[in-house]
Amino acid sequence: MARLFFYFIVGVLGILSMGFQLLASRLLNPFFGSSLIVWAWLISTFLAAFSLGSIVGGGISNAVPGRRLRAQRLLAVGAVVSLGFTAFAGRNVLGWIELTFTDLTVGLLIACAALFFLPVTLLSSFGPQCVQHLASMGTPPGKASGLVYGVSTLGNIAGVMLTAFVLIPHFAVSTLLYGWLGVAVLSLSALLFILRSSGR
Amino acid sequence: MVRLLLLAAGLFASLLPVAVAAERDYTETHDTPYNNLTIQKIGNVVELRARSRAGVYLESAVDLSDPLKLVVPYTQSLYAAAFFEPNPKKALMIGLGGAAFQRVFAHAYPEAILQSVELDPKVVELAQTHMVFLPTKNTPVATMDGRLFVKRSKETWDWIILDAFRSGYVPPHLKTEEFYRECAARLSDRGVFVSNLHASTKLYLSDIKTIQAVFPQVVLFQPAGRLNVIAIAVKYSAPVLKDQDVLARLPQINQALRARVDFSTLARERIDVPVTSARSIRVLTDDFSPVEFLDAMKINNTKDH
Repeated sequence: MARLFFYFIVGVLGILSMGFQLLASRLLNPFFGSSLIVWAWLISTFLAAFSLGSIVGGGISNAVPGRRLRAQRLLAVGAVVSLGFTAFAGRNVLGWIELTFTDLTVGLLIACAALFFLPVTLLSSFGPQCVQHLASMGTPPGKASGLVYGVSTLGNIAGVMLTAFVLIPHFAVSTLLYGWLGVAVLSLSALLFILRSSGR
Repeated sequence: MVRLLLLAAGLFASLLPVAVAAERDYTETHDTPYNNLTIQKIGNVVELRARSRAGVYLESAVDLSDPLKLVVPYTQSLYAAAFFEPNPKKALMIGLGGAAFQRVFAHAYPEAILQSVELDPKVVELAQTHMVFLPTKNTPVATMDGRLFVKRSKETWDWIILDAFRSGYVPPHLKTEEFYRECAARLSDRGVFVSNLHASTKLYLSDIKTIQAVFPQVVLFQPAGRLNVIAIAVKYSAPVLKDQDVLARLPQINQALRARVDFSTLARERIDVPVTSARSIRVLTDDFSPVEFLDAMKINNTKDH
């Protein structure tokens, strides 16, 4: 049962990451349009964040237990704060960027870096730590890695479909961002609690 | 013998360019980052079509024997703007298509400026290479997002025409209350905002309600037998547009435009503005604009119409 709940949380984090990409596109739309340039920057930002998050998370998963727990708390708080910044101040920041940087590419680079890069990096840093958790519970590392990334990717798919076909048609983007923040607080709190057992 | 062969080859070579230059029918397709375009010439008519999930939309057409002829009916209806502001000095058109509107505007108002904004560079190229449109200092084209252009513009326009489609639908950020407010801010006091809408889906009712949220007066024109509805909106509350006999304004419209647009027919295209008071019909905003989903819901399947 505990194992199933763990996978559920991994899936929820997957939902948060990719669903956030669709919300990000809606947030950028009024300021930068919806051209190929916007999507190129958005996708690249998320992939860069996944990449850096994995590296950072991988490094932390090898730290000594006490340090690892402190780092995990810091990453979780950082993820929530940066998501909150995007949810509460995103539109104002985009308005300022749009006025300050007339070059579309520069504006998009700064907007994506300011609003999306940090929360996605921090959220995805938990992937390797989940692998480490499973491995510490006796699952072979290869299998642990396959399970975590398999479930996380299923969460990604669910996040995209749910956001595109259910959430965006019925709710305002700002409401959804607050929802994302709430779910992030709950799921990261639960994950920190679970990871404690492998961090001792 | 060799000389004879050379002579024959020379004759063939001299005829070849003529044969190539003679305009033959053709069909070309172009995949761009924004559209799947087909440009087809049959006889004297060149048509520009864009593929969408529902099929292929006719975006624009030109009759090469008479490039000022407005082949696609709704393009004529866009000129309903002239009933309410007959002498535009500066106009902005978001969406270039095959530039049928631009060709007639440049002919009818040679001193006026018509700024066009088009996102897809291939559309700009095809309009110039296949559809007899050459931008001049009075008809410039900016290749960028229409909303970005409006936001960054410091100009005031007498007409703002929104006719931007991407694969059959209008991008969500060009359908919102905030965008219409940005357009209203760039419209002259007696200026006219024109938008090409589709009356077949639930999006139409949200479109009308959203335009009404910004502009005090909206009147509609629908070409007979078509699903296009042209919304004309103004910033002022008086005089009341719906009470006006638009044909009474005909003498104010310049002769060159009247020769190209059948304003008597256009006047008869006026239709009633649908009731949009139902709570289920939502105003579209930057925060809530599920344009793709509303556009997928056929209006006959709803109780709102």
